[in-house]
Amino acid sequence: MSAPLANSGRGPRQQFELSIGCVPLRLEMSDAHLFDAATARYAAFTGAGARPVTIALNAGAVPEGPPSDFDYEFEGAALHVFSGGIRFDGVRHQYALDSLLRVLLTWKLLGHCGFLLHAATVIRNGKAYLFTGRSGAGKSTVASLSPEGSVLTDEISLLRRENGVWRAYGTPFWGEFRAAGSNISSPVAGIFRLQQAAENQVTALRPVAILRALLPNVLFFSAEAEPNRRLLEILSQAATEISGYNLAFRENCAFWEVLPA
Amino acid sequence: MSAPASVIWQKNPALAWREIDDETIIISPNDSVMHELNDTGSFLWKNIDGRKSAAELAELLVENYEVTPDIALSDTEALLQEMCSRKLVVTVRATGGVSP
Repeated sequence: MSAPLANSGRGPRQQFELSIGCVPLRLEMSDAHLFDAATARYAAFTGAGARPVTIALNAGAVPEGPPSDFDYEFEGAALHVFSGGIRFDGVRHQYALDSLLRVLLTWKLLGHCGFLLHAATVIRNGKAYLFTGRSGAGKSTVASLSPEGSVLTDEISLLRRENGVWRAYGTPFWGEFRAAGSNISSPVAGIFRLQQAAENQVTALRPVAILRALLPNVLFFSAEAEPNRRLLEILSQAATEISGYNLAFRENCAFWEVLPA
Repeated sequence: MSAPASVIWQKNPALAWREIDDETIIISPNDSVMHELNDTGSFLWKNIDGRKSAAELAELLVENYEVTPDIALSDTEALLQEMCSRKLVVTVRATGGVSP
């Protein structure tokens, strides 16, 4: 979905709406190549809910006004969150747009009791199984050993608490699979910390151990105390309400046999 | 060099923390470092409020745990120094300001 907007003097600005983890966004830009790349990249996530927040890409000088709530810079590209809207400046390619979208989501999800986690998510019997760990822990291996169509992401998972239930959402943020993703969600069955081993074995974790497993793998980019307090509050709730396990696994699909139903 | 037992301590206001399973997880957002306190450390952490000295914190420890006053003060001072070196706590001047 696209609609030309008024000309800002640097070419017609176009916009399209998308929703990632039920966070409604509207991207607005004048770069036709970037627009085409973005609409293709996020095709599975187009269409937003009510009141999407507008992200103005490369929209020129920042207007005078109140200070921003959150800023982040990444390889020459910058994100600025204002109360009246969001700006992505210096975005020259799809990779930068993708990176700033991830950063923005980590911020927006604070208001939705949610967070992004380095984890593969696999749907099995209608429930989401999350496999977390740093690079090399085996997230992509787990994804590759799971049935086609059951993987929501092999790299970055999105969790939200809705009506007392934790749900995992598909994201367009993938690793080795480089898939487009699916804009669907499922209730969370459990979070599994990956440890490659000779034998498949699962060990239940106490909430504090789940929190320890989550913290190094959560994506978050603010150094301010208050947002970090809110994040820690959300993660503590997740650690208390979601079942968590250590999963020692061999690189074969037999690991599913030791997982709790 | 350790601070006198009468010095007042408070939590570093730049931190985020949460108690879970009788342990305390502390996040330092500036350097993304996670710190953990056990049961006793969590008890002291909860009571570090910008109004109590090491001696007063040690008294609380004696009231709530089976520990002698000497050992309580020694352990409390050691923990405060350790937390201070990690910038988890700061001392408070008599005027109420935070010492750098």
